[in-house]
Amino acid sequence: MRDFAIRYGFLILMIGLIVVFGLSAPGFLTPQSAVFILQSVAITGILALGVTCTMVVDGFDLSIGAVATSALMLSAYAQVIWGLGAIEAVLMCLAMGAAVGLANGVMIVKLRVPDLLATLGMMFVLIGLQRIPTQGNSISTGMALPGGGSATGTFDPLFLALGRLRLDFILPRLLPLSVVMLLVIALLVWVFLETTRHGRLMYAIGSNAQAAALAGTNVDRYRIAAYVISGTLASVGGVLLAARLGRGDVASGNNLLLDAVAAALIGFAVLGAGKPNAFGTAIGALFVGILLQGLTMLNAPYYTQDFIKGAVLIVALVFTFALSGRAGRPA
Amino acid sequence: MLSRRMFATAAAAALLVPGLAAAEAPAAGTKIALVRYLSTGDFFQAYLSGVEKQAEALGLELQVLDSRQDAALQADMVDQAISLGVEGIIIQHGLTESMKEAAQRAVDAGIKVVAFDVDVENEAIPQIEQSDRDLARLALEQAIEDNGDSFTAGYVYVPGIAPLDRRDETWKEFKARYPGITEKAMFGTMDNPIANSVANQARSVLSANPDITVMFAPYDEFAKGVKIAVDEAGMGADMSIYSADISTADIAAMREPGSAWKATAATNPAVVGEVSVRSLAMLLGGEDPGRSVIVPPTLITQTQLNEQDIKSMEELAAKLPAFAHAEVAMTPWMKLPPR
Repeated sequence: MRDFAIRYGFLILMIGLIVVFGLSAPGFLTPQSAVFILQSVAITGILALGVTCTMVVDGFDLSIGAVATSALMLSAYAQVIWGLGAIEAVLMCLAMGAAVGLANGVMIVKLRVPDLLATLGMMFVLIGLQRIPTQGNSISTGMALPGGGSATGTFDPLFLALGRLRLDFILPRLLPLSVVMLLVIALLVWVFLETTRHGRLMYAIGSNAQAAALAGTNVDRYRIAAYVISGTLASVGGVLLAARLGRGDVASGNNLLLDAVAAALIGFAVLGAGKPNAFGTAIGALFVGILLQGLTMLNAPYYTQDFIKGAVLIVALVFTFALSGRAGRPA
Repeated sequence: MLSRRMFATAAAAALLVPGLAAAEAPAAGTKIALVRYLSTGDFFQAYLSGVEKQAEALGLELQVLDSRQDAALQADMVDQAISLGVEGIIIQHGLTESMKEAAQRAVDAGIKVVAFDVDVENEAIPQIEQSDRDLARLALEQAIEDNGDSFTAGYVYVPGIAPLDRRDETWKEFKARYPGITEKAMFGTMDNPIANSVANQARSVLSANPDITVMFAPYDEFAKGVKIAVDEAGMGADMSIYSADISTADIAAMREPGSAWKATAATNPAVVGEVSVRSLAMLLGGEDPGRSVIVPPTLITQTQLNEQDIKSMEELAAKLPAFAHAEVAMTPWMKLPPR
């Protein structure tokens, strides 16, 4: 009974939630509703998968929200001010994300700065840095440039399609590309962590780095790689955000960070894993998405949503640590 | 510095000659400070640029102190400004509770103070305001002109934010005055990035209430979010969005083909910045700008933007003179920034 509660408790809770919302909110149980729940969690979900990779090696990445908003600003800057195309803009963002991840990893692994502190510093650096080129302004076509004149570039339609294109699936124009990307990335991260040798070694490092090193694993390289993955995925999230908004909005990204971390932590409880895992993270993100969309459809004000998000996180952590009796450093 | 002070004294003495006691511009080089509570975002950036330009036009030396939403720090910054020896202070936003005493200390130190969008409960301090009630009224009047006085509406609102609360009062009045307006759903969030979070909410609201035809989103970040959701749901043709505030990006969004964003009411934040400095300059020059200085808003419709082919805030200011300059806090000696 106890084992059953630990393994399936969370999934049962989620199904119960879907039933309750389905009965009380008209229009909740439709393909459209399912799709936009996925769409609403696509960006935080991708970020959460990144931070999951750092958690697997017993690390943490506080800079993901800031990396995402930096990618948002960079993609807007590249297209609107430099007039570059979609492909260049996306590649620049991915390179930026990977570079930030590499810097985080080197700071943590080679320079021995504790992970929370290194990525906290990086977060502030990025929040500031992304605003320097535009002096704190949002980026949009027609904006006045500091050097005189106005920006003439526009967002490449190909780029906007990343956030806005909808594929025919069951219904015409139903499935947004961002949801497809979330599913593909979730699958890739899951396959990488669960089935490849590299993924298993990363788990080994997370549970006992010394033992892994003695067994001949290049611990430093894997830990740095985890941060590079995290930074790159965060920049993917930022690109999708920019494509959805269609402008370079000044934002700190702190909410993105918190939602992503919440999803990853809720993921510990799914199937009683008791450790970071890609499947759990995806379910965690979905769970938060279902809750928020259902509550909004029932006209619940925003503060009740924060409250419920927090309550769910606490329940999930209790599942993980008390019921399963597995204690460990969660982050 | 000494010579400048002496020059100012001499100039002031000259004014005391009987019959010539008309107020005059503050001496060039007079130091003023802008003490800010909010600074992140397009509105505050544009406000600052207005303050800077008007201060430059009047030859005032501007010091910007930015507390970045730290209420206690903002109060300390007033004291810092006092010790820097400024002659005038603009308090931009903040909390009544934390700023009231600091503002009084500045007044006691003989410093002229004006406050923008924060009530410091002080008779000696003029209040600069963009009229949020008028903003909401203009947008709603346009909504009624476009849609008649009975429609099903969605409303985006987050309580506890002063300008949104004032806009909300007008919304309540309109609902009472026009019983045909039904508010079917109220939602809203300040989670960053606001437009993205509001878009997620609006998607749920639209699918739960497909009969909504008008969205009142009295803050441009809200309107942007609603527009994203409307576009994603493919409901652009049956939906009208009315908002407040404007930026270059908002203009582009309003002008997109088939855009549901029909009108917005806005005060040019740069003009509000200019008016703040002009009011302070009047006080420094010995004139009273009045207890409350209200910068009137302008209604901007999608049709106007399309007909006059307006693409940016600069073009908006050039083609809609009411948006470029507000005839408030003006005196014969007032120098305006070059246009």
